[in-house]
Amino acid sequence: MTNYFSKVSSKDIDYLEKLCGSNNVSTDEEDLVTNAIDAQLGGFHKPEVVVWPETSEQVVEILKYADEKKIPVYPRGGGTGLTGTVPVHRGIVVNMKKMNKIVEIDEENMQVRVQPGVVYDALNKELERYGLFFPPDPSSGAACTIGGMAASNASGLKAVKYGTTREYVLGFEAAFPRDGLQRLGTKTFKYSLGFDVVKMLIGSQGTLAIFTEINLRLRPLPESMETSAAFFSSISDATKAIYKIIRQGLDVAALEFMDKPTMGAVSEFKKIEFPNAEAMLLIETHGSKKAAYEEMERCISVVKENGGFEIWHASSKEDRERLWSARKGAYPSVLKLGRFTLISDVIIPLSRLVEAVEKAYSIGKKYGLRTSCIGHFGDGNLHVNWGTGDNGEKIESLHRANDELNRWVISIGGAVSGEHGIGTEKKSYMRLQHGESYNLMIKIKRLLDPNYILSPGIAFDLDDLLNKSG
Amino acid sequence: MFRQRTLDKVLNDYLYDVLKCVRCGFCNSVCPTSNISLSYRDSRTSRGRIVLLQAKHSSVLNLSIESNAIQELMDLCFGCRRCLEVCPAGVRIPQLIWRVKSSGPLRLNKFFYTYYGTFEKLGAMIPTLSNLLVKSNFGRTLLEQILDIDRNAPFPSFYGDSLEKYIKKHSSSNGDRGRLALFIDVFTNYHDVELGIRTVNLLQRLGYRVEAPPQMEAGTLALEFGALKRAVKIARFNIDSMYEFIKNDGKVITISPAAYVALKIDYPELLGDEKSRIVAENTIDIVDILLNEYDDGRIRFKGPVENAVYHHSCFTKAARLTTSVKRLLELAGYKLTEFEECCGIAGIWGLIKKHHEASREIGNKLFTKIEHAQMPVFSQSETCRLQLKHYTNSRIMHPLEGVMDRILL
Repeated sequence: MTNYFSKVSSKDIDYLEKLCGSNNVSTDEEDLVTNAIDAQLGGFHKPEVVVWPETSEQVVEILKYADEKKIPVYPRGGGTGLTGTVPVHRGIVVNMKKMNKIVEIDEENMQVRVQPGVVYDALNKELERYGLFFPPDPSSGAACTIGGMAASNASGLKAVKYGTTREYVLGFEAAFPRDGLQRLGTKTFKYSLGFDVVKMLIGSQGTLAIFTEINLRLRPLPESMETSAAFFSSISDATKAIYKIIRQGLDVAALEFMDKPTMGAVSEFKKIEFPNAEAMLLIETHGSKKAAYEEMERCISVVKENGGFEIWHASSKEDRERLWSARKGAYPSVLKLGRFTLISDVIIPLSRLVEAVEKAYSIGKKYGLRTSCIGHFGDGNLHVNWGTGDNGEKIESLHRANDELNRWVISIGGAVSGEHGIGTEKKSYMRLQHGESYNLMIKIKRLLDPNYILSPGIAFDLDDLLNKSG
Repeated sequence: MFRQRTLDKVLNDYLYDVLKCVRCGFCNSVCPTSNISLSYRDSRTSRGRIVLLQAKHSSVLNLSIESNAIQELMDLCFGCRRCLEVCPAGVRIPQLIWRVKSSGPLRLNKFFYTYYGTFEKLGAMIPTLSNLLVKSNFGRTLLEQILDIDRNAPFPSFYGDSLEKYIKKHSSSNGDRGRLALFIDVFTNYHDVELGIRTVNLLQRLGYRVEAPPQMEAGTLALEFGALKRAVKIARFNIDSMYEFIKNDGKVITISPAAYVALKIDYPELLGDEKSRIVAENTIDIVDILLNEYDDGRIRFKGPVENAVYHHSCFTKAARLTTSVKRLLELAGYKLTEFEECCGIAGIWGLIKKHHEASREIGNKLFTKIEHAQMPVFSQSETCRLQLKHYTNSRIMHPLEGVMDRILL
């Protein structure tokens, strides 16, 4: 199995340098190491060479060459993934950082065409001038790329109202190992002409194609926003309030949950003194000035009816940004509690949220872990941060606890990833999550990438792919 | 035989900072050197530098931290401290990079920058000759050959006399409002002396006695060049001197944000003792003094409403003085347009030959915005003003220069 792929030879390096220019190819140790890891608690997997293509044609040629030579290829965006999307079978990392141009802003049709290396926040900063935005808003927005977001179907704080990346990708230009450069999708918001290959590629984690351009649908920036923080003396009160807000059909743009340990960590990060509470919710409403205000009023009534004992309103843009930057820094802030931390990304049917949080705490207790919970509870997405403090010897228990939660979540009809994707970390759940239909994914993979050169070891086990009976 | 130092020994307590980095990449989003054309390589970014150290700790990196390759990458961090504002895990990035740099080889220019306070003092003693030297082709070639200062980079002129001497000569005997020790740092002391003199005169008119207790340079360059022992020595001297002053009911005042950052942030971090904590607590910037005077009704402002640009210098941000500076300028009648981009000079980093081009690239966006704005520009940092004067045609001033003529006592 280990010999299935070819090693990168000096001839291969020469070819890549001729194709992309010697400045855009590196076998230097410092470049291999910095392309060997993402933001997951995992080890380094050094590639044999890193390439920074500048054109779609170069990407096509790299894939064609690698396919002929059976060399693994790993596309890389911002490297902010939390699931270990790293070159486990070495080979070539195709780093998309130089393909970072906003190609066309079509203001009239509210669309933008970008290269995959464009950073999420940078795109929205540019779009702001047109009164438009790309809404999914992952916490890693300051550093993650649009290509990476599409590859993992990322979303985040505003998914409860605006949905995930999947809802915004209208089309791709993508390079395939055997099928070259393909333009997929249309410029329309819907069409009814055959399979939706665009949607199939979203969340494919670089296993089927490398995106070279992405056409995104945009939304107008809301005229007005209202942001409030509500504090509760029990987690169940907070989760009940969330359920009622959703059940009553209130139009929230964000409905974020933080428990006490997380509040403590972000309080230190942003120097915000929170009241003594067991849980807090961050609520945001968007719309016309009147609509956003009235919707927030309705949310606040529900919060009060369900035990919210203190409510803060962000009275300025600065206040709002401070609250959101605190929330976005919640995961790394929690690391102050100890450097060995694993984050789960489960998504749960709304009616089971209270139970899920309780389950997470009880599993954490069982394994002697520090447990804290944050989540985009408006859509049922719970992130449990499991930590061993600084005790590296207990790392195994992090994985065992996470595994126990993941299996329970699947058993109640949830999913083990809401927005982070599969990587190396969650591929072992693919069969459990999808059952027999996992074999359909394997068949599609075999069809589009018969030599399995694209991101081997990510999302699919190479063994599963090579086992023809699977 | 030369033995390589282990990462643990080089970093000491800062090793934990390296290990707790989760590689979220937030630092890259604000790091000036992570956002230029060469930084498509992750190894040339802020996060990349931490990843390399993590890899070294995990025995994955096949390079020593003393190696040229690693030291060159660490040299890209110029200590702007913007990362400290956004790092959710609280990783002390500039501080740990200083420690990695400290394991690098000794070079002549490093020696010079480590003792830059002494060399500046010498330069100021013979101002005519020094200015002739820094303005002549011969002098610039010499500076480039010996000190690596790019011949096209901006370089400040020597004023002639030092601010320290001026204060000693003109220290008024009375001072019913209290005693203030001016912690000056080299730029204000030897180059921007006029601004210092005007500030001292203003404070005296407000009833303060301004003094200049014995002091060395702030030591920022020693830190940036990884000369930690020297930096600690400087910090010790300055803290002991300022502490003695404070003990006798005095306060310490700064004009330069680098001086403020040294007393408020760097020295307590380097020394970790009670004295440095007390000095930090009793240090106030001139901007906050003027705001206090305004809030107490002792001064008013009068002047026409004027549009101006306020440039957030890295050290003003690090010192958390931005809000105060903005408020002061607005009280004085300025309608501000704010530019947050880094100018790229970063103390002396942008003057050094190997960084000069990158420095210009970092600053380009800001230079273009300033040229388009066509307004006077306020920036608190002395070297930012040097860079902006060099690369733009706008009028560049310290905020005090725009405010002092509008103060009514």
